[in-house]
Order: sequence, then structure tokens, then C-alpha cells
Amino acid sequence: MATPEVTALPPFLGAPPLTDEDRARSRDRSRVHHARKHERRWYLMWLLVGPGILAMIGENDGPSMIAYASDGAQYGLGFFVPFIPLLFAMAFVVQEMAMRIGAVTHRGYGELVLQRYGKVWGWFGAGDLCLTNLVTLIAEFVAIRVGLAYFHLGAGVAVGLGLALVLFTLRGGRYWHWERTVLGLAVFNGLFLVAAILVKPHLGSVASSLSFSPFPHGSFNTLLLLLASTIGATVTPWMIFFQQSASADKGMTPGDVRHGRYDTALGAVLASVFGLGALIAGAALLPHSGSGIQGFAGAGFPQALDRISGGAAGTVFALGLIEAGALAILTISASTAYAAGECIGVAHSFNTSPRNAGVFYAANVGVALIAAVVILIPGAPLLSIALNANVLATVLLPVSLVFVLMLANDRGLMGRWANRRSTNVVGIAVAAFVAICGAAYAIDSFLQAIHGVGA
Amino acid sequence: VSAAPPDQQQEQPDRRQLPPDQGEELIHHLERDQLVAETFRPVQRARLSRRVTISLWALRIFAVALGVMVIYTFIARL
Repeated sequence: MATPEVTALPPFLGAPPLTDEDRARSRDRSRVHHARKHERRWYLMWLLVGPGILAMIGENDGPSMIAYASDGAQYGLGFFVPFIPLLFAMAFVVQEMAMRIGAVTHRGYGELVLQRYGKVWGWFGAGDLCLTNLVTLIAEFVAIRVGLAYFHLGAGVAVGLGLALVLFTLRGGRYWHWERTVLGLAVFNGLFLVAAILVKPHLGSVASSLSFSPFPHGSFNTLLLLLASTIGATVTPWMIFFQQSASADKGMTPGDVRHGRYDTALGAVLASVFGLGALIAGAALLPHSGSGIQGFAGAGFPQALDRISGGAAGTVFALGLIEAGALAILTISASTAYAAGECIGVAHSFNTSPRNAGVFYAANVGVALIAAVVILIPGAPLLSIALNANVLATVLLPVSLVFVLMLANDRGLMGRWANRRSTNVVGIAVAAFVAICGAAYAIDSFLQAIHGVGA
Repeated sequence: VSAAPPDQQQEQPDRRQLPPDQGEELIHHLERDQLVAETFRPVQRARLSRRVTISLWALRIFAVALGVMVIYTFIARL
């Protein structure tokens, strides 16, 4: 196992030598200690938020926002207004466990699974992550392309913008800088809420849809696709890898778990509200044959909103898609980089310089580069890839959920921070729900594909 | 276990220039098992029962089978 470079420091009694990564993390922790000591509550909150908000809003990515808008355009608000917050509540349960494991063990998901349960399970998990991340990243570049198409800009600009952002955020060799830059970008996910306001929704119809009705109509397979893709739009394997590793990289400790919960809950609420924004904006198209809009086959939604609700709504929605894709490229690339560094056993921190963490930085840029190259291939089935990204994530998610539950219940690792019974009941219910929905869709679609049955 | 934080510290100067006592102060902002040298020490391997191992393999095969179905369906619908 390789270790990062250790610089010469004065020897401390019984203490291991400090690396640059330790020093950077210690500087961040000194501010946390100071804020806590002087009871500066809001400043402490400001210092400790990050991984939860980024995981949740990062999952409000291009395909997810298009999925919500499609749901609204095809079925209206009913069912989805309560269903989306419910899914984010499920995501909170999972992400809180990931945050807690990272804060208590100071290790990422990939390395813990690999070391605790063996290389086979560790590499299987990393393989799932790489596959779903690559597919999702392609979909993110497609989303940026859709947004840019509204402004008459092409795929080359989408690729350049995405890669430039990845390189820009990697400068500085500090987790804090990376996190704050990406958080700044995440604020603009709120554009979907602005788009929802611009379409002037009828508040009474929004409120009346809280009763889970009317239930979406359509064939059994269509409903399963709807469930699988909406679940895949809220809980995915990369979020688990990302939040646990980022919590460890940020230097969170068991004493920060309470703030980690606030961070994750805030992220879930914001992501839910912004997701509902996309749904409401899409629902404005329902009386105008919205179900016929193919979001990825051009600049479908922004242009349709432009026609129905005015240029401002279309522009804001297009900018939102660009932001959603760009933010997800940063967080998903980061989760790939963490997994690569953890599984190979080399330095894996934004607090380490590229010279000392070559694999981490190469994986971060490399996976985004591969996805970017794919969208430049003439005739590549981008629409199909984008539509299947969330579904693939959903069918592979149960394995990650089971290992999160196992880690969170491992008293040898977690001690008194291990799961309570109530958390386990909810966690197992979430894993079972995701597994059943994913399996039902995969099997039904497969049967249709080979025999033309099951519809 | 975290050590007590220092009284007054906002921005740290380059620690390489500091004497050992202040360097030790820096390390006290971190829990010992947060240090890179400690995190690179592998955790002990868990002993999984036969039942758990079989269940994990069943889940893995289930997930791979579903993944193959989704990929097949994706290709078939191109």
C-alpha cells in the first residue's frame, strides 16, 4: 500500500509525522474548535455544512431535473408533489448513515468495505460506481448540451465548460476551497424554483396534490419506469461514496455528527424544493401537449417553456439545466476519484497536491474526460444513455445500501454511534423498496424486449 | 479522542517554521485516528457468517443479473 509523502517536521512525543494533508485538515479543524469554544453557532454551522448539501443537490442533476419536468409535463402535479419529498426523506436516512460512518471512522465507503469485508466486495462496489458514474456523467454533459442548445451553443462548448469547471475546482490542493466553490455553484440549483415561480402555478392545485392523487396513469411498464427513474433521481450509489468520503476528507468527527445531520437534512429539503420547482415548471406544459416533449432530443423543455410562459422561464430553466449538469459533473467525478484512491490504497484527498495524489486527481479528471469524449461521438445514442442512467443506478443501489447498513451496524467500527433499531427498520425498508422497484422494472422491460410481453 | 483546542488561533502560519510545542498544538486539532499515517492502517477484517456471505453473494448475483437485463434492454431498444 502506497503512502503519501511525509515532510520532515519536528518529532512529537508519540505522534506520527504530519503530512501536508494533515496540516490542511488541521487548519480547518482549528476553526471548528474555535467556533465551538466561543459558541459561535451559525459560524460553526457554516464551517460544518457541505458534504450533505452537495450530495443532495448534486443528485438534483440534469437527468433528474428533466425526469421531474417530464413527470410534471406528462402526469401533472398529483402524486409527485408528496412523492419527491418522500424520496428525499429516504435519501436522508441513507446519507445520514454515510455521513456518520465517515465522521466516526474517518474513512471512505470504498476503503472500509474493501478492508472490512474483503477485496471482492470492495472492487464490486467500485465497479458498480464506475459504471453508473460514467453513464451518469455522459447524461450530465447531455443536460449541459440541452441547456446550451437553447442559447444556440453546441456540444463542444458543453464539453469545454464541463472540463474547465473540473480543472478550475481542483486548483489549490485544499478540500475547503473545493467544497466552497462547488457549494457556490449549488446555490444556482435554485433556478428551478425561479422557473416554477415564472410559470405562475395555481397554488391551490399544488396544495391539493399533496394527497398522492391522482395516481399516474399508463401501462405497468411505464409506471415502473417512472418509479425506477424517480428513485434513481434521488438516491444513487455515488451519493453514498461521496458523502462518506467527503465527511472524512473534511475532517468531521463524532462530535460533528449533529451538525452533519443538519447539513444532510438541509440538503434534502433544498433538493426537494428545487426538484419540485422543476416538476411545477414541467407541469405548466401539461395542458399544451407536454407529454410529447422529448427533453433530451434537443432543447425541448426550455423552448417549450419559452413558448408557453415567456422567454424568462425558458432562459432560467435552460440555465438551471446547465448548472445541474455542471454541479453533478464535479460531485460525481469527485466520488469516482475517492473510490479509485481508496480501493487502490493511495492518497485520496483534496487536501493533497496533485503530485502526491496522482491517482485521485487523474481519476477525477479522467472520468469526466471519458464522458465528454462520448458525447462528441457522432451518432452516439445519447438520449437512450441519459434515460437509462437513473434506472441503472437504481438496480445497482441495493448492494450499496446493504453495505452501508452493515457498516453502520458494525459496533467494532462505530461503537456507540452504531445504528439504532429504528434507523435499521427504516434503512431496510428503503433498501427493500428500491430493490423491488428496480427489479420489477428491469425484469418487465427485459421480458418486453425479448418476448414482447409484460406490458 | 480530541485534545483541547488552543485558545487563540484563526489562521495558522507555515508549521514547518514553528517550534515543536506549537507543532504539537496543530496536531491536537485532529483526532489521532484522523492522521494520514493512521488512516492508511487497514481496519481489521470482519468475520462474516456463512449465512451472511451466502446472502451477500445472492444479492450480488441478483444485482448483476438486473444490470445485465437493463443493459440488454437498452441495446435492444436502440
